[in-house]
Formats: sequence, structure tokens, C-alpha cells
Amino acid sequence: MSVKQISVAQDVHFAIEAHYRTEVRLWQTGQYREWLKEMVAEDIHYWMPIYEQRFIRDRRPDPTPHDAAIYNDDYGELKQRVERLYSGTVWMEDPPSKIRYMVSNVEAFDAGDGEFDVYSNVVVYRNRRQLEMTVHTLGREDKLRRVGDDFQVFRRKLNIDARVTQDKNLYFFC
Amino acid sequence: MTEDAHLVDNVESSQSREIFWDKDVYNLELERVFGRSWLFLGHESLLPKPGDFITTYMAEDKVILSHQQDGSFRAFINSCTHRGNQICHADSGNAKAFVCNYHGWVYGQDGRLVDVPLETRCYHGQLDKAKLGAKHVRVETYKGFIFGCGDADAPSLEEYLGEFRWYLDTIWEGAGGGLELLGPPMKSILACNWKVPTENFVGDGYHVGWTHAGALGQIGGELAGLAGNRADMPFEELGFQFTTRHGHGFGVINNAAAAIHVKRDGWAKYLADTRAEVGRKFGPEREELYVGHWNCSIFPSCSFLYGTNTFKVWHPRGPHEIEVWTYTMVPRDADAATKSMIQREATRSFGTAGTLESDDGENMSSATHVNRGNITRDGRMDSSMGVGFEGPHPVYPGIVGSSFIGETSHRGFYRFWKEMLDAPDWAAVKANDDNWDSVFTNRDYWADKIEAAE
Ligand code: FES
Ligand SMILES: [Fe+2]
Repeated sequence: MSVKQISVAQDVHFAIEAHYRTEVRLWQTGQYREWLKEMVAEDIHYWMPIYEQRFIRDRRPDPTPHDAAIYNDDYGELKQRVERLYSGTVWMEDPPSKIRYMVSNVEAFDAGDGEFDVYSNVVVYRNRRQLEMTVHTLGREDKLRRVGDDFQVFRRKLNIDARVTQDKNLYFFC
Repeated sequence: MTEDAHLVDNVESSQSREIFWDKDVYNLELERVFGRSWLFLGHESLLPKPGDFITTYMAEDKVILSHQQDGSFRAFINSCTHRGNQICHADSGNAKAFVCNYHGWVYGQDGRLVDVPLETRCYHGQLDKAKLGAKHVRVETYKGFIFGCGDADAPSLEEYLGEFRWYLDTIWEGAGGGLELLGPPMKSILACNWKVPTENFVGDGYHVGWTHAGALGQIGGELAGLAGNRADMPFEELGFQFTTRHGHGFGVINNAAAAIHVKRDGWAKYLADTRAEVGRKFGPEREELYVGHWNCSIFPSCSFLYGTNTFKVWHPRGPHEIEVWTYTMVPRDADAATKSMIQREATRSFGTAGTLESDDGENMSSATHVNRGNITRDGRMDSSMGVGFEGPHPVYPGIVGSSFIGETSHRGFYRFWKEMLDAPDWAAVKANDDNWDSVFTNRDYWADKIEAAE
């Protein structure tokens, strides 16, 4: 990201932040189908690459979508993940766990043609059963597209701030 | 440790719950199971060039696996012989040498101590560098898979894999290209005893329909009928379970290799194109295994699903926690697009955010942690499914169970686990080579069954 990118106008910035607040509310209330239908473009690439711990002098390139990744999903694959949660047979979500998101440091740039590059930080807090509690922080790189008076995400790259996931899984949307 | 049936009862097919909880059992495991077994370290494909290295674990020991200039592999403990600091903190890379961060001692690719700062001025020429190399472990490879062992008296890797190689060759060699592993591994912490996932992979076909009901329903395909255990299936015709001398074992679901993969065109075509050659090399029984789906564990703590092609190592971190490392297995000679799609599908099902992986984790942690209760822990677990419906077979080595839903390979895993805990050394284990399988008492099961069919 260059510092010379064109920041969006205040009203657009506000609209993008409002969009993210809505997205979080849908996740926190289990409205995954609504989230996918309204807020995710059908050409989505939803990606959480794996970054190894490497020496600074190591010249190997950064991961691409052809490398190992924790998420590397298109729309149909995201839909499969969503629908599993409605199957009534995901025992670990019954009783349901709690999830809370904090989205901050939203920085939005105009990419032309009604598209926006948006960077944000996300904290995900999960609390399950009696005492299980996990916290994940992620840097999120989005490409949003204007659709009507709202936005849809068509690229999402999630940089999780941990080499070893300190949780039994990362099956949540972010 | 006495040779009584408290921890593992091979007659009643039960285990004490202490095996998932007790600190003394765990310490004995570190010494007698992990300290004496061949442990998976890596695959040649993960460090293809001289100088390439990866850092990993052998149980709780940190290890550097390093590709030598002569093409061989060496492994040594990732701890400096000066004051013990960890030598290398990167996951992988290519290095001419490893330099300790503390005082700068330099180790070669082979682990020898090659340079010491201020050696002449401050050690006055008295330091015997030849004696201060990093501590080595034995390294041997089988079909590209690299294992390490901390016991000089252990048998060779080939002997350790033993008759299980008859099965492994089917897929680790296959039509000729063999397999490779794709990394870097996903890594996650799971609060469970290391044996819970190992036993799950070695032989728990039972949980598939129930634990994974939600995911199987979404994936559809050959296994959809298992979801919720609703379908009335002829389980005795769907596959087998196997266990072998050193506890390695697996269950197979026939004709279901790619069942978990949604986008499977390349992988299914690869299997279809190569199965005849596998049949020619290995015979019809192994051709059948080649196109089946395997849930497999190599004793003690390495597991894979062939067909789904996820490959796991369960590194223990005390009795109640593990670090899960997940790679993908792909045919070495498949095209790049097929390898990439296998990797994506394997990850989507059994990676850290996998649709099936997410079903398993909670069972594994709660089956461990519930045993903190004193009354609970003073109890046993049952693994008697299919007792008697198993035995030696005229074709398949080891002991063969009649259905992929059974606990034959559980029993075989714990049988050997107990043998390792009880045995003072490998000589004592070898003394049982001729009668290890006597705990499977129905010796005529397969002879009778085959005769009845004829
Ligand atoms: S501890 Fe490694 S150089 Fe001193
Ligand atoms: Fe499972």
C-alpha cells in the first residue's frame, strides 16, 4: 500500500464503516445467509494465507493463492461453510458459542470504477462452553465494490497475527 | 510399570482413563514411546536442496532437520551445547550455518560446532569443538518420508514400519511417482491428549457419520449416506480395518478415495489413470486399497487420510495439550493444477478452519479434560466394537477387521502402546515378535468366512 493513494471522502468513509458494523452485527447474530447474500460478491476470493516464520534474509516470495492457506475460498465454498452451520448437526455450536468482533483502523482508498481498497484491524473474541476463551487479531485487506447504495466485498485477505493458532479451529467468518 | 491390565486390558478391550490424564504415564511415554519410536520429521519435498532445513519437534524436543551437501539428511537437537539456547528460530530456510543468538557459536549444516567467537583469546585454545557438536538423532527415510529416532537400539525404520509397508507401498510408491508433502504446515493448539486424535485416525470409522453429520450433508457424494447414521448400509462390504506389529493401522472405505473432495476432477482422473499400474505391480487387493479412503496412524503420533490427503503430526505438549501440524499429501507426478486443487480440498476439509476438522476438535479436548474428575478418572473406556470379527488373513498382513466401522485398529494401537510402556528395551519388544497378535483370539475368522463364501 502506498501512502499516496486517494483517501475516500468523509461520507464514503462513514458508509464503509457503517457497512462493517452491519457485517459484524449479522455475524454476531448468526445471520450468515443474509451476510453472504447481501454483502459478499459472487466473484469473491476469501483468503487467509499461511506465513511461515522466516529469516529476514530469506528471499522466497510471499504466499500466493496457489500455496497452502487456511482459507482459499470462492463463493460456492463460502456458501458450503455457511450452510453447514444451518444443518442442525454441528454439535460444537449447540449450545451456541459467543463471538464478538471489534473492527478498527479502517482506512479506505478510492480505486476507481466504484471500487475501494480498504484496510482494517479486527479483534475476534470467542467464548465457548463454560471456560473456553480465545482471542484472535487479524489485519484485513478488502476490495469493496459499490452495489446500489451499499458495498459488496470481492477480495478479502486475512492476515492472522499468529504462526500457531491458539484455538481448536478458525471456523468463523471475519 | 507393571505388566498388569490396568492401563490397557487387551482381553476386555478397555483402557484406564488415566492414559489421557496422568502425568506419570505421560513421562513414561516420553521415555519409552517417543524416546524409542521412529517419529515423522518431514518429507524430502519440504527441503529439496542441500542447505535446506526445517525445524520441528520429536515429542517435546526441538529438532533441526537439515539437507546435507551429499544429499543425505541429518537431524540434531535445536539447542546450543554452550548454555543451551535454542539454535534456530525459523520454520524453514536455506542456511550455510546456524548461529546461536546468545554468544554466537556457529554450527554447520551437519550440526558440527565449526566456529566459536573469541576462541583463541578467551578459551586459550582449550575448547574441544569436536566434542561440542549439536546432539544428533538417527535419521532414516522411507519412500521420501523422513523419520528420526532417539534410540540407538531401535530397529531400522524399515523394520519398525514392518509389514505395514505392504500397505504403505500401495500409496507411498503407488504407480511409481510416489507422494510428496506440501507445506508449510498449518499449526494449531488443541487441548487434548495426543492419543485421542491418533486413535481417532487409526481406526475410528464409527464417529464419521455422527460427528461429521453436518459437513457430510453439505459435501454430499459417496459418504453422504453415512451422515447421521441413517442409511441402512452393508458395512461388512464397505471396507476393512487393519492393525500391524508395531501398532500402525488404518481403516479403509472402498471406492471412496476422493469422497471428501468436492472439486475432484484432477485427482479422480489421476487415480483412474494410475490404478491399473498399481494393480499390475501390487495385485488386485492393493489396487482396491489404492482407490479406497484410508484413515491411518503410524505409531505413535503421525496420521493421515489418504484420498482426502491431509497429513497430520500430533506433537505432544504435556498430557493435556498437543500442537497439530497439517500438511497435504499429493502424488509427486500429478500436474500442478491437480496438486493445487488437492491441497485446497484437503485444507478446506481438514485444515485449521476445515469443515470436518472443526467437528473433531471439541470431542478430542472434552474426552481428555473430563478426566480431571477423580471419580471419572477412576474408570475405564471401552473399545470392544467388532471383537472376534477379525483375525489373520490369507492375503492381508497383520490383523484384519471385517468392517471399517470397528475398533480393531484401536485395539492394535493400544496393544502396542502398552507393550512399549512395559518393555525395558527394544530387545524385550522383539521377544514378542512371534506372538504379538495372540490377543486377537479368533484365529479362524477369515478362513471360515472365505470358506463360507465359496
Ligand atoms: S548458548 Fe549458544 S552460544 Fe552460548
Ligand atoms: Fe473426524
